[in-house]
Amino acid sequence: MEKASHLSVIVDLSPTQWHLSAQASNQYPLSIETFLSQLLAFLNAHIASKHENTLVVFGALPGKSVMLYSSTELLTDDMPPLDANSYLPFKLVDSTVVRKIMDELDAIGKLEEEPPCALVGAVTKALCYINRITHHSSTTTGVAEDPTTLHDPRILILSVSPDLSSSYIPIMNAIFSAQKLKVTIDVCKVYGPDTVFLQQAAHLTDGSYIYLERRDALLQNLIMSFLSPPFIRKILAVPKQDKIDFRAACFCHKNIVDVGFVCSVCLSIFCQPLPVCSTCRTKFPINTLKRLNAARPAITPANSRMGVPLANLNNAATPRSTSTPVPNGMSNLR
Amino acid sequence: MAPRNQDGNFMDVDSDSDISLLGDVEHRGKGKGKGKATDKRKKDKGKAKAKEQAYTWEASYTRSWDTVQEDEAGSLQGAVEDLMARGRRRRLLAPAAAIRRTIIRHLVLLLDLSAAMMDRDMRPTRFDLMLQYAREFVVEWFDQNPLGQIGVVGMRAGIGERIGEMSGNPQDVLKYLSDRSRLEPTGEPSLQNAIEMARSSMSHLPTHSSREILIIFGSLTTCDPGNIHDTLDACVKNKIRISVVALAAEMKICRNLCDKTGGQFGVAMNEGHFKDILFELVPPPAQRAVARTGGPGASNPAADLMMMGFPTRLPDSSPPSLCACHSDMKSEGFLCPRCMAKVCDVPTDCDICGLMIVSSPHLARSYHHLFPVKPYEAVRSMDGISEPVTACHACARVFSITASTAVASEGVSPWGRYRCPDCHNDFCAECDVFVHDVIHCCPGCGK
Repeated sequence: MEKASHLSVIVDLSPTQWHLSAQASNQYPLSIETFLSQLLAFLNAHIASKHENTLVVFGALPGKSVMLYSSTELLTDDMPPLDANSYLPFKLVDSTVVRKIMDELDAIGKLEEEPPCALVGAVTKALCYINRITHHSSTTTGVAEDPTTLHDPRILILSVSPDLSSSYIPIMNAIFSAQKLKVTIDVCKVYGPDTVFLQQAAHLTDGSYIYLERRDALLQNLIMSFLSPPFIRKILAVPKQDKIDFRAACFCHKNIVDVGFVCSVCLSIFCQPLPVCSTCRTKFPINTLKRLNAARPAITPANSRMGVPLANLNNAATPRSTSTPVPNGMSNLR
Repeated sequence: MAPRNQDGNFMDVDSDSDISLLGDVEHRGKGKGKGKATDKRKKDKGKAKAKEQAYTWEASYTRSWDTVQEDEAGSLQGAVEDLMARGRRRRLLAPAAAIRRTIIRHLVLLLDLSAAMMDRDMRPTRFDLMLQYAREFVVEWFDQNPLGQIGVVGMRAGIGERIGEMSGNPQDVLKYLSDRSRLEPTGEPSLQNAIEMARSSMSHLPTHSSREILIIFGSLTTCDPGNIHDTLDACVKNKIRISVVALAAEMKICRNLCDKTGGQFGVAMNEGHFKDILFELVPPPAQRAVARTGGPGASNPAADLMMMGFPTRLPDSSPPSLCACHSDMKSEGFLCPRCMAKVCDVPTDCDICGLMIVSSPHLARSYHHLFPVKPYEAVRSMDGISEPVTACHACARVFSITASTAVASEGVSPWGRYRCPDCHNDFCAECDVFVHDVIHCCPGCGK
């Protein structure tokens, strides 16, 4: 017997990225309006596939994250006017999500510089919510049902922003707690370059990472790949990602590196040999530094794997990175 | 880590707060209308108080639900909150400053397989309980120390017996511990033989990794071929840290082993306490200050900077090619970022260019030790806040409007609100525990 499943959807609502995505110079331009109408159809499909299915929608906005819709909570007071031609739960989802997104986008106002999207906040909130409902069901439904399989929780991240390397540690922490809760994280990359961290998230939690090539086929991709709950996917051939990039962000300059220097005491990653570990204040032997400096790979463009370096497009906007000076040695890295 | 075993009260609550919490809540549902049990319970409680911290063979039959107390209304809410509060307070006690911890760990698990382990003072027997807890310990240990390695040595019939080689794979170690019949206890234990065996298996290790021996000891005797103090001195010289969990009673030599090498010593009072003192050894030990007494100018010989590469994983669907390590034709594998050679598994050293290849999630698993979430402050009064938020910032659970009337102990908010000192968002008690124990990242500030 098929069980009810829980789905948390995290929508990346970065205004800049959506503006870029809608430009006609793209091969398949996708504006946020078209995206939302297709997303709402997908959300409705999830609700329709089983009556007990639960749904939560989070939005990752610049600098903050908000809950846009929850099937267990009423977020707005005003009910949409009854319409004989529409199914009420669908109407409720559609109007709540659209209204909340409009409110939040209006509230952003004019900013000189757009802070990076709070994707981590949205993921951790989704995890807290899942923790709450699984915990809740275990206390009320009694012993017969196993609380962990009851909701079969999963998170779907619809991402448009590039990797935010300053959030490397929090996002990894979130991934590990998702692993502990047995939550599957699916990622659909709607626009922009591949994100290393979300690839790792999908890989580590047994989800699928899909880079949307034909962006006019968004809805089809969503329904074919992400509508089925994880236990049905074992039967279906759901597309998985091909290569997984296990690169990490260094602690010193927040660069994403493939060869790093690691402190043996605290495992902090640095992009160049340092005399003192900035995290645990360990001093490293001088011979090691000399040896490593000599052995450092002379990085040629052919060596950087992605062709286009996954430099932090967003990082330029974070005040943090501007305060840390990039030494000259780094310039030949890029 | 502070030796907690002196504080008796602490220990009792310590017995794995999650599990006991879940248990309590279930009892709340089931125990309704079981008024009969109450008077008996009171009698028991008096008895338990008379001899606090009784050893398990001295105690009468106890029920786990005796440890929680109902309030006047018959609700267990107070007891549950009290347990949570204690957990919170323990977190507050922990030092906020970054302490240095060794993360690449090597541990030899020394199991006592002498006849003394067949004692039934811990149910079902000391031996079975030890095996069960050892398996749980291994799982938890690898979860928190993914780069560590564990070897297993047994003490049986007067000799040390190698049960499993050092391995970084939890499945291997669990396999060593799974075969009960192969580990059947017999004869006398020999501490010296077993420690010597563990010591020799760790002598080749690099200096930046920690060397530890964990002894689970049920016997009160040891039969050694030589002077065990020589072995102890050798361990001190090799910087091997010995921790002992004794199941019977304290022995002078065990205490000495731990004190001299900087390990922890504990005597298990009962089953729950056994698990607690065992699991206290899971988090990586703070590095001893001794290692860096050479003054500010001297470099720490134990620390080193290592060059590591983070590979790309190829899927099963990629075109097959030969791997560099076994020359096998296969599709999946990892690409060395420096020389692009294909290796079968990580962590490893690249066979072509010698670069250490690790998967970055392995490293990242330990980062929450380095950057813990700041403890949340309990919101004590709602005065001065004109428009309080109505729901938990993380899980959107609606806060209660009235303050709870229960006697507010330290660290518990009567409003059920806990506030992050950085982003000033309010969280419910459940999310507070979840954020600090599992996620290690505040949903409000994203750090």
